[in-house]
Amino acid sequence: MISNYIHPGALVSTQWVADHLDDPSFCIVESNEDILLYDTGHLPGAVHIDWRRDLQDGLVRDYIQTKDFAALCSRHGITPETTVVFYGDKSNWWSCYALWVFRLFGHTKVKVMNGGRDKWIAEGRPLVRDIPEKKSVNYPIPSKRLDNEIRAFFENTLVHSHQKRPLIDVRSPGEFSGEITHMPDYPQEGVLRGGHIPGAHSVPWKRAVNEDGTFKSAEELRKIYQEELGLQLEDDLIAYCRIGERSSHTWFVLTYLLGFSHVRNYDGSWTEWGNRVGAPIEK
Amino acid sequence: MSYYPKKLAAIISLFENLAESERRETLISYADQAKNHEPKEGEVFDFEDFRKDEECTDSVGIYLRMDENQKYYFKIKLGPHVQTLTRAMSSILCKGLHGITSEELQSIQQDFVPKIVGAELIRARSQTVYYLLTRLKTASQVWEKRLLRHATQ
Repeated sequence: MISNYIHPGALVSTQWVADHLDDPSFCIVESNEDILLYDTGHLPGAVHIDWRRDLQDGLVRDYIQTKDFAALCSRHGITPETTVVFYGDKSNWWSCYALWVFRLFGHTKVKVMNGGRDKWIAEGRPLVRDIPEKKSVNYPIPSKRLDNEIRAFFENTLVHSHQKRPLIDVRSPGEFSGEITHMPDYPQEGVLRGGHIPGAHSVPWKRAVNEDGTFKSAEELRKIYQEELGLQLEDDLIAYCRIGERSSHTWFVLTYLLGFSHVRNYDGSWTEWGNRVGAPIEK
Repeated sequence: MSYYPKKLAAIISLFENLAESERRETLISYADQAKNHEPKEGEVFDFEDFRKDEECTDSVGIYLRMDENQKYYFKIKLGPHVQTLTRAMSSILCKGLHGITSEELQSIQQDFVPKIVGAELIRARSQTVYYLLTRLKTASQVWEKRLLRHATQ
């Protein structure tokens, strides 16, 4: 049941999406970890946004520039008035990541399909292989990227840690403790030190979802982040993981479902911190 | 210059001449065939190695049979969470290495992977496509050591 969230409109059910597949004011976007998954079949009318090819700069470890974002949206028929509904694999990690990047460019009309691709399939809903032909539009180039508002860099995070402000490490307990330097069931992504940022709280992303990948109820989420951690809605928070996708998931939970007003995603995350010369680490 | 056995070379050549969209379609087609390269019920193999390694998303089972001419035939069973690219590569390897000799198998370099998959699709989290070849080579080495031990006993 989708209710009691602070911004309930940001989360929609599979049935809601099924009812809006032909609505031209919406654009359904699939974003996955499995880079060929969209090609094997996707929601009717859904377009594909690849988190690396489409959202990241090919040379510098950074996101695309505002003009590239405008071109991406224009290509997919997205205008600033279009409501973009994201879904994907892995309990919506990458769809939340894509949503966060859209917010980074100031696109406000965003939603996530609860339960993602797996739930849609489990319910026996249709997938198609046809690539939709979207009429190209003209998305105006955003005036800026909201790097200062919803994104944290290494220097911001270091200051945050020194000032003992709340930091949420959403990785697995083994990664947090430094016992392992890769995500469980994943290859090593190149990090030289294990552990966590000093002062960070361990709240694995998975605690925010049910077995089927849907988000937990507002009450359950409040219990985790507000009662257990004692966080206040106005707190200045930074979340991180290894490369920023799992922390985007937590960013979505904190920002949209619980209504925290100042949450930033440290997308450099552990692959930057754990390799950075001189970065302080706690185990 | 790297050496590739004839069947694998033909697959590489096919992919090298494909446009990006056709490459993706062909990979999907190979991924769709992955089930056909799993061991069938009752099928007997000389060596089986089914396991889930810590850094892999799901389990990978290698099944090999060696014929009287000492040529290998492989089947691969993948867990349900294995990515599409890995499923495609399992089909490609089962087809491309069909009837390969031990020497040929051990001499194959991993540099054929980007020729098939394309640099664009190889990412940190799709390293299993390389891992599959290593598992096939290891399985054949273990099997050959067993054969040798058996022969010298």
